[in-house]
Amino acid sequence: MGKKTIVPIGPYHPLLEEPEFFKLYCDGETVVDMEWETGYNHRGIEKICESKTFEQVFYVVERICGICSTSHPFAYANAVESIADVDIPLRAKLIRSIVGELERIHSHLLWVGLAGHFLGYNTLFMWAWKYREPVLDMFEIITGNRNSYAMFTIGGVRRDITAEQATQLIKVLDDVKVKTDLLVGAVMDDPVIHARLKGVGVLTAKDIHDFGAVGPTARASGVKIDVRRDDPYAAYDMLDWKVITAQGGGVFAKAEVRLLEMYESISMIKQCLEFLKKEEPGDIKVKVKDIPPGTGIGHAEAPRGEVFHFVKSDGGNSPIRHKIRAPSYTCIPTFRKSCIGGTISDAAIATAAVDPCYCCTERMTQVYDHRTGKRMMNAVELIKLSQQKTDEIRKKLKVKL
Amino acid sequence: MIIDEYIKELKEKFSSITKIDIFNKKRLMVYIPKETLLELTDHFFNDLKYRYQIVTAMDSKDGYEIIYHFSDDKTGWIMNINVLLPHDDPQVESITPVVYGAEWIEREIMDLLGIKFLNHPKPERFLMAESWPEGEYPLRRKFHKEDR
Repeated sequence: MGKKTIVPIGPYHPLLEEPEFFKLYCDGETVVDMEWETGYNHRGIEKICESKTFEQVFYVVERICGICSTSHPFAYANAVESIADVDIPLRAKLIRSIVGELERIHSHLLWVGLAGHFLGYNTLFMWAWKYREPVLDMFEIITGNRNSYAMFTIGGVRRDITAEQATQLIKVLDDVKVKTDLLVGAVMDDPVIHARLKGVGVLTAKDIHDFGAVGPTARASGVKIDVRRDDPYAAYDMLDWKVITAQGGGVFAKAEVRLLEMYESISMIKQCLEFLKKEEPGDIKVKVKDIPPGTGIGHAEAPRGEVFHFVKSDGGNSPIRHKIRAPSYTCIPTFRKSCIGGTISDAAIATAAVDPCYCCTERMTQVYDHRTGKRMMNAVELIKLSQQKTDEIRKKLKVKL
Repeated sequence: MIIDEYIKELKEKFSSITKIDIFNKKRLMVYIPKETLLELTDHFFNDLKYRYQIVTAMDSKDGYEIIYHFSDDKTGWIMNINVLLPHDDPQVESITPVVYGAEWIEREIMDLLGIKFLNHPKPERFLMAESWPEGEYPLRRKFHKEDR
């Protein structure tokens, strides 16, 4: 092997503007090894939770991630309610599922848009993000907020969904469905996207098991796991839906899984609304007096995969230990498999394919080496490289934009 | 899944198991001394094909509790292995050689609780900054207790 070159990416992520640092060891164009460093934005949330009351922890865990801001409270609620052995009202279960699925739709739309942008399909990016807006508006109508919904509480939810809101929601969903058809067509019928993404960043079912990867990352490799089906919570056992899987394990398969999952989510919300309609307006929460001593484990299926919460209570006001694992924690290490052997221009989309989510957004446009003062490759350049490759494929296939 | 039979079989196979608890719904906790941890992990991960979820470590009264979480996705059960380490000797065999995905979390526990994982392939700092003082572990009970 010849001389290895190190291409440093970060500490700001090439694609999602989040802080972490990759070192790609390259031999020519090929990535032969990689290392990463993280912890740039470690906020010590597990420690903070130990000093909050059980009720307050909901609003802390909601802020772990702005995009999955219902998944963390979901898993936490499952954990705490299992310690206290609470059965929440049906209405609350349905509302929880509705919010959870709406979140999946907006998160997947966001990913489709970003993935399009990294490949040089800026029209796709504009479309997807435009169609995501009504979903966020709907969140504002239902929960009062576009993000960080503060909808959950111990024993139920904090706001009811009225009949009027339900009608509005159905209208938005019908609209989103039409737009999803459009996006699915734009991705699945495009020969350039097929050529660009198939066989890129491939993960086998064995890799998934080795790393413990979850969610769309696992399902794209044909591993049929989904917490909503395997260990049903909220209203998921009442609904008729199927777990979407794809074969191939590449970036294309991951896109396919996410796009088709949106249809399932739309149908699930509609079923929940049907159930809500039949229900008499009633309680949306039960009163939980205190949390007895004990251990609770709760998990929930976030748009990116399983969110895991472990809560230990000693009978007091706050948890004595609260362990949180976000899906990206087990999905990001798979980069070692998906990037190595590929080219540098594929590294960008292969890392984006698991929809990595670190913590919050910080921005920086250029990175300088602190010793030499020389500018390293930055996010914009890396994205350009990725877009160039798509252009080349376009030329080869003689497709005009 | 017939849980009583499962527990009986597991106890027969691993005579070192000290206790098995069922808690909440579909949650099982297996208490085992640290010497036989790797065998049981290997059984869960490679023979039964349970999905590795994460490792939780905490500082409790009797020592450091390390809980390894595995999910049996076919039945929805979460199987936990609980290992107790004494406060004066916080070290345990690393499971990373068996479960590749556990590399990060073991490094994180090293940072936050100061537990030593023997035979870890890359025992370096993970989350804490380079400038963080040696021997300060934020998740230990003693850490800045007066501030809380």
